[in-house]
Amino acid sequence: MIHIEKLYKSYGKLSVLKDININLKKGHVYGIVGENGAGKTTLFRCIAGLEKYEGSINSQHKLLKQHLGLLLTNPFFFEKLTGKEYIKLLTNARHKTVEDIESKNIFNLPLNKYASTYSTGMKKKLALTAILLQDNDCFILDEPFNGVDIQSNIIITEIIHKLKSLNKIVVISSHIFSTLEDTCDTIHLLKNGSITKTVVKADFKTLEQEMKAFSIGSKIETLNLK
Amino acid sequence: MLLHFNIQFKILNRRFSDFGLPPIIAYLLLSILFVTVSNALFTKTEYAVYLYYFLVFSTLSKLSDRERNDFLKLCYKGNVYFKLRLLENLVIALPFIGFLIYRLAFIPILIIVAIVLIMTIINFNTNVNYTIPTPFYKTPFEFITGFRKTFFLFPIAYALAFISIAVDNFNLGIASIIFVLLICISYYSKPEKDFYVWSFNLSAVAFLNTKIKTAIYHSSLLVLLPIIILCCNFYHHFFVILFFVILGYIFIITMLLAKYSIYPKSMHIPEGIMIVFCVFFPPLLIVILPYFYKRAIKQLQLILE
Repeated sequence: MIHIEKLYKSYGKLSVLKDININLKKGHVYGIVGENGAGKTTLFRCIAGLEKYEGSINSQHKLLKQHLGLLLTNPFFFEKLTGKEYIKLLTNARHKTVEDIESKNIFNLPLNKYASTYSTGMKKKLALTAILLQDNDCFILDEPFNGVDIQSNIIITEIIHKLKSLNKIVVISSHIFSTLEDTCDTIHLLKNGSITKTVVKADFKTLEQEMKAFSIGSKIETLNLK
Repeated sequence: MLLHFNIQFKILNRRFSDFGLPPIIAYLLLSILFVTVSNALFTKTEYAVYLYYFLVFSTLSKLSDRERNDFLKLCYKGNVYFKLRLLENLVIALPFIGFLIYRLAFIPILIIVAIVLIMTIINFNTNVNYTIPTPFYKTPFEFITGFRKTFFLFPIAYALAFISIAVDNFNLGIASIIFVLLICISYYSKPEKDFYVWSFNLSAVAFLNTKIKTAIYHSSLLVLLPIIILCCNFYHHFFVILFFVILGYIFIITMLLAKYSIYPKSMHIPEGIMIVFCVFFPPLLIVILPYFYKRAIKQLQLILE
């Protein structure tokens, strides 16, 4: 369980996160939804301990980061480092030994090529493979489906289901509602740095319709497309 | 076209400012450095002009990157694009041409102008995507990425060691050791993204110790060949060789600690000045090394603990 209470984060005078209160339970998948700049990535960085914040984030682990797999929106890769070496670096960092990395290459990535030359989707898949091989208890996946092909999207969805069945905590952000619908138990709506709504699976359809109505409104008409 | 040069100028100025230097001072310092180094080169070696060709070519090759030029071609029409590229290349080559005019070396000027013209037409991929094998697979990343970026320098460094034996010049041999260790030092000049430090399940002290051990172990592998060559042929200078190798290790550690002392930011002028002072007066390391170490621990604790 991860218990987030009264979490505030600001950069100078700019308040990015305001009074976030969430409980993340084992064996549950949580979705964080919000417009670009709503504060999703900052929230993830706070949970990971990559940002200073006000408030508290507690878990059963003394140091949550040591049990957390973090998939960033745009994973950074060193120039001239192969996919295999990237996995080695991240598993070494968690004192894990993976004997045969090739056999764990479920996305069929060219592991002996430089990761920096991979496409967006391949980079995402490599970063995901690496954190999965770290044997974490909790996963934060920031836009895991972004740029990934349909076949791999199916695999990622199944991976999330498997993590849930293994009693892991999974937090996902995505801009594709259907992917959240397929994977999440609960969705938190983040708006201007605050959680404005929490929705359980039974009410996902209503949430989607509300979001559509709110997001689209009469915006398209203002474009005056001819 | 003017907009393009305006943007490039602004980007360059921002880079200087980010480094902690006001652009005007940076231009002044670079001009002084260029003239001083050029003067020294042309008075001390007959190969200076070849180095000039190499420098012009390697700098212009960065501007000839295919991806960059594809973007420019999308923005500017045929003639304008070629004028722009020619102007860019000329601006880069101008200081070199200027110094050669001062030296009244007219043939090298023609060769440099030819390089400028050729590089205006040619575009190529500056990134070689062939995976260069390294012996550092077990502990990524500094030496893996660093070695692949600088692999072409090692044959030169090792050749110096062999030449030192051929011409019976011990100093040249020492220069080859220093050269290899300087390459290794350069692997620690830039900070990695915080994610790569954050991922480690180590305390700040353990993290630094691991990094230092890896640095010493891997740099030893790279410097081993010149050490063996020199020890076999100049065995009576064994302690001098040992002194320079140990000093090299200490500077690698200093650079590593300096990098993390201000992490996740890049090293700025204060760290650079401290390291330069240590180069000219190594006993200063007794003070600087613990200083960097304490600051590095403090910075790393924010991310790791």
